Amino acid sequence: MTTHTTTPAATGTGEGGTVLEATGVTMRFGGLTAVKSVDLTVNSGEIVGLIGPNGAGKTTFFNCLTGLYVPTEGRVAYRGTVLPSRSHLVTQAGIARTFQNIRLFPNMTVLENVLVGRHTRTREGLLAALLRGPRFKKAEAESEARAMELLEFTGLAGKRDHLARNLPYGEQRKLEIARALASDPGLLLLDEPTAGMNPQETLATQELVFAVRDQGIAVLVIEHDMRFIFNLCDRVAVLVQGEKLLEGTPEVVQRDERVIAAYLGTPPEEVAAASRPGGAEDGPGAADGAPATTAERPTGTPDPGARNDTGGHGPAGTEGGEKA
Amino acid sequence: MHDLPQQLANGLILGAMYGLIAIGYTMVYGIVQLINFAHGEIFMIGGFGALTAWLLLPSGTSIALALPLMLLLGMACSVLVGMGAERFAYRPLRGGPRLAPLITAIGLSIALQQAIWAFYPDAKKARPFPQFGGDPIDLGAFSIQRGELFLITAAPLCMIVLALFVSKSRTGRAMQATSQDPDTAKLMGINTDRIIVTAFAIGAAFAAIAAIAHGLKYGQVDFKMGFIAGLKAFTAAVLGGIGNIYGAMIGGLVLGFTEAMATAYIEYIPGMELFGGGAWKDVWAFVLLILVLLLRPQGLLGERVTDRA
Amino acid sequence: MTTTHPTATAPARPGPAPTPGTLPLPAGTARAVTTAGAVLTLAATFLPWTWTRAFPGNLTVTGYPGGLQVLTLTGALLVLLFLASGHGVRGLRWLTPGGTTAPLVLLTAGTFATTWYAAGAISVTLGGVVNLEPGAWIATAGSLLALAGALGLPADTPAGTDGPSGTGAPAIQRLRHSLQAPAPRPARALPDWAEILLIAGAFAVVLYVFTYGIATEYGELFVGFLLLTGCAAPALAKAGLIRRVSRLTARHRNVSIAAAFVAAAAFPFLQSDNQFTSIAANILIFATVALGLNVVVGLAGLLDLGYVAFLGVGAYTAALVSGSPYSSVGLKFPFWAAVLTGALASLIFGVLIGAPTLRLRGDYLAIVTLGFGEIFRIGMQNLDGISGPAVTNGSTGIPQIPDLEILGFNFGETHSFLGFDFTRSANYFWLMLFFTVIVVSVFRRSDSSRIGRAWVAIREDETAARAMGINAFRFKLIAFALGATLAGLAGTVQAHAVSSIDPEQYKFVEAVPPNSAFLLAAVILGGMGTVGGPLIGAALLFLIPAKLQFIGEYQLLLFGVALVLLMRFRPEGLVADRRKQLEFHETGQLDVPDAKALAPVDGNGNGTTGGPDGPNDPGTTGPGKAEG
Repeated sequence: MTTHTTTPAATGTGEGGTVLEATGVTMRFGGLTAVKSVDLTVNSGEIVGLIGPNGAGKTTFFNCLTGLYVPTEGRVAYRGTVLPSRSHLVTQAGIARTFQNIRLFPNMTVLENVLVGRHTRTREGLLAALLRGPRFKKAEAESEARAMELLEFTGLAGKRDHLARNLPYGEQRKLEIARALASDPGLLLLDEPTAGMNPQETLATQELVFAVRDQGIAVLVIEHDMRFIFNLCDRVAVLVQGEKLLEGTPEVVQRDERVIAAYLGTPPEEVAAASRPGGAEDGPGAADGAPATTAERPTGTPDPGARNDTGGHGPAGTEGGEKA
Repeated sequence: MHDLPQQLANGLILGAMYGLIAIGYTMVYGIVQLINFAHGEIFMIGGFGALTAWLLLPSGTSIALALPLMLLLGMACSVLVGMGAERFAYRPLRGGPRLAPLITAIGLSIALQQAIWAFYPDAKKARPFPQFGGDPIDLGAFSIQRGELFLITAAPLCMIVLALFVSKSRTGRAMQATSQDPDTAKLMGINTDRIIVTAFAIGAAFAAIAAIAHGLKYGQVDFKMGFIAGLKAFTAAVLGGIGNIYGAMIGGLVLGFTEAMATAYIEYIPGMELFGGGAWKDVWAFVLLILVLLLRPQGLLGERVTDRA
Repeated sequence: MTTTHPTATAPARPGPAPTPGTLPLPAGTARAVTTAGAVLTLAATFLPWTWTRAFPGNLTVTGYPGGLQVLTLTGALLVLLFLASGHGVRGLRWLTPGGTTAPLVLLTAGTFATTWYAAGAISVTLGGVVNLEPGAWIATAGSLLALAGALGLPADTPAGTDGPSGTGAPAIQRLRHSLQAPAPRPARALPDWAEILLIAGAFAVVLYVFTYGIATEYGELFVGFLLLTGCAAPALAKAGLIRRVSRLTARHRNVSIAAAFVAAAAFPFLQSDNQFTSIAANILIFATVALGLNVVVGLAGLLDLGYVAFLGVGAYTAALVSGSPYSSVGLKFPFWAAVLTGALASLIFGVLIGAPTLRLRGDYLAIVTLGFGEIFRIGMQNLDGISGPAVTNGSTGIPQIPDLEILGFNFGETHSFLGFDFTRSANYFWLMLFFTVIVVSVFRRSDSSRIGRAWVAIREDETAARAMGINAFRFKLIAFALGATLAGLAGTVQAHAVSSIDPEQYKFVEAVPPNSAFLLAAVILGGMGTVGGPLIGAALLFLIPAKLQFIGEYQLLLFGVALVLLMRFRPEGLVADRRKQLEFHETGQLDVPDAKALAPVDGNGNGTTGGPDGPNDPGTTGPGKAEG
């Protein structure tokens, strides 16, 4: 009873059961409304994408989901129970996350980082640590076994004793995912998992996310890389200026002209004019065809959305909210 | 309770002094999120600078004539030490581990205090500070010591000047911008290093004024007077909402008021008979700090400070 | 760039062409010069250095080195041994499994510093260089020659690993380069008994050196001792010996811990003079409290500036229930009950202080604890029956705290055992050692567990820690309260050991340890988050003021300045954290130094391949290396 089984809590909720249900989530900072009445559901076994131009409130919305912010209005429920607005309780409940700007524990080893992820699934306190009874040893051994399993899963097992800060960028991202998975979540939130990655690394991340999903863990992912999102997700929601513009399958979203307009910063009325020439080559609107074609193409050429966002990554962006 | 007006006046005068020192904590904190433990020592050094000016003047000079020079030298000493501390002790550590600047601040505080103790002539015990002669000024309900007049004039003046500076001058506005978002401020072409040094300098200058007020009020300066004064001023800054310069002054006044009231009246509370008097006033100030942190950690005028994200 | 480079750790000798040393000398000449210098220095220690015994240590006898001469002699001997080892003399090669030049540079520097310091001290004490006899002149010249020769030796590592270091590079760059040493060759497997014997030998050496340091009778000798050990310790590290020993101790952990404990416990046996045992007991009190603080600061990253107040709470509680005639409580608790009461009282104060503060930013804790330390002192002073209720006798304190008596064993009396007389100090030394062991095990066991990982995670990145499900407030409070409890525990023993307590013993900063500033400094100087660090830090901070009376009134000034410089140049302290040790992995993994990391990985700032092999007594080697 000290540690959970390695299979995440997906059992019990059949295919299609709701994992996450956010209703009317609103977040205001002083006079600024960063997120305005957003509804979002994630069903079990699903990969849902959340896209939107820079400053659309994606990370703020994420922070509301994970209890880092207390939403001004609205509620977030996980498997039917309303989540408390306390970060650690959210993780306890079964939602794990990664961060847009990687936040590992830099001076801990790779293994220790993942072991910290096991925190919510173990309960040995100070006394147990001091007395080192058989149960403590068993729990530590089990934690380590599970952590090693996850390191194998993410391909980091060979680096278990390296310091996290000495890992190359791509592996740090992987480690963050391994650490999040260590809490046996039912839902994994990924905040721009491929930011700064090259096409090969992006592809590897995609495979990793599919593998996570195949373990029965629902995934909600924020991303700027449109191709990544459209290849990956079963459903995509678009956030523009704090509001949910639309939600649907990648095909539907790709075709929607409002999305292109939002990314290009054009008022919706002018969309018709703006989207045709721009979308002919590489815009999201270009993918009029089946997603299969998109999948074949490498993600090298940036689309307008990605270009917009990476350019504007200043401290004034959405991540400004993450500062103390 | 017949001396209530007098206690009130005492408390407010004491509070104004705490407030002046607290501005140094709060400005620096607002911009670089650093508690400058050495600020109490910068205050103390201002007092010794002013004393030096007095000692350099021919004996028999009137204190009123000497005061401008004392102010000048006191402020010069404090500002020099404050800016030096920033430049050589804190700046190299910026962006490093969180504990390093705090520990540096402690080391600096000890070193400055000991330097005065060891090298200032006859500073091993308290040195007498020049005094305004004459009887207290009787204002009916209460009276004011002549030495306290300096503070009563200087504190509001300082606040007005500071308010004007922050809201009207380019540097002042840059300062506000830096305190809100240092990275963006830098991108906007603000020289944040210069802003930080300015904050240190203004804080030190105000501390020196407070130190002269302290000397005039108590008739002496002492190498260890910065420690408790620094603690109190920090309490005042937290009370008012750290980072907020108006809050610092208000926090100082509230703290001074609380201390005066506790010293005078707490012994009348049943069960507290033995905890009255000056011996316990520091304890009550500390209890106030704990209560504020417990009940309103963001202070009277502050925004929320809990480290959530 | 992230792949491992197994070649980087290979011994340098058969490697590519070596880089020239700091001085442009041919390798053979350099070696000859070093040898000549060392021999000269060695010989000079047998000659008189001065004419009068007015200088302490009697340096006037021919053929019988005394005082500082012994230190120079030791230094010169070590130089010759390492020279021989570096030259590949059979039977001595085990001395330098790592670098050969770097240790020589350090050792000759140590010998040079000690010798020149001795000559300088003689001249200053006796008034002029005329007081130097020829022996002193030969020794100074010899040690200079040896240093020059060592600086001319080719560097251990090939050029180019840390910027330009070839012939054209600036001298300082070449010096830094020649202080770099490769990792030691893998050790030959030895039978278990031999390894254990080696561990025992290593501990014996450490115990001997420490005992020598404590027993130095005058300031000059202590300075010389510090100079020589200050250079010799990093030299041994560069030579790879310390790493080898720490690998051995890691392999035989239980044996090592036992050996450390035995070495420490043996200390009173080696002392004829009770005074030194008393110093050692005081160091242990100081070190134990510092170790408790290390849980709070080193593991959880909480800056507690009023730590000594928790010691005071424990001490006052124990004193009140000790049966002292001056205690206002007319009770006499048995010792175990007094310990529990003291620890509990500290725990309560810890929670009272921690609960409101730990929800906020870390800086608030620092200033609130600073305030608490001061308030505790004022409170104890006021509870004298005049300013407040009569509890503590105010500034008089509580004197005549009776000696402990546990199971009929009176700690105040001298006991004879195996022909040795054990004084009061020795009794308290052992009791304190027992508590040190408790605190060390608490530290180590909590460190490597779920709770310790949670603390480190909070220290590293609180937001991420929360996102991993850690209730940051709760775990910070546990750390803070645990630290307070450990201090209270130590306080109960301290009250009995010093037999009289008063408020002035528990100030924020004061010339005499333990006080909050010194405790913090011990943790930082030694190395945050390690076991060995606070022990070494406490020993140094206790001995330096005690031995160097001449710094007298500038002591605190120097202390403050030292703290600032330490944070600036070596914030990780003398002993690097276990986690920082991993920066140099056994596979020879090349690490990317991080600008935001604490500092360059070792003492001489040469980070890339040298690894953290400064005087790094790894935390894993147990408590004994510092005190035993």
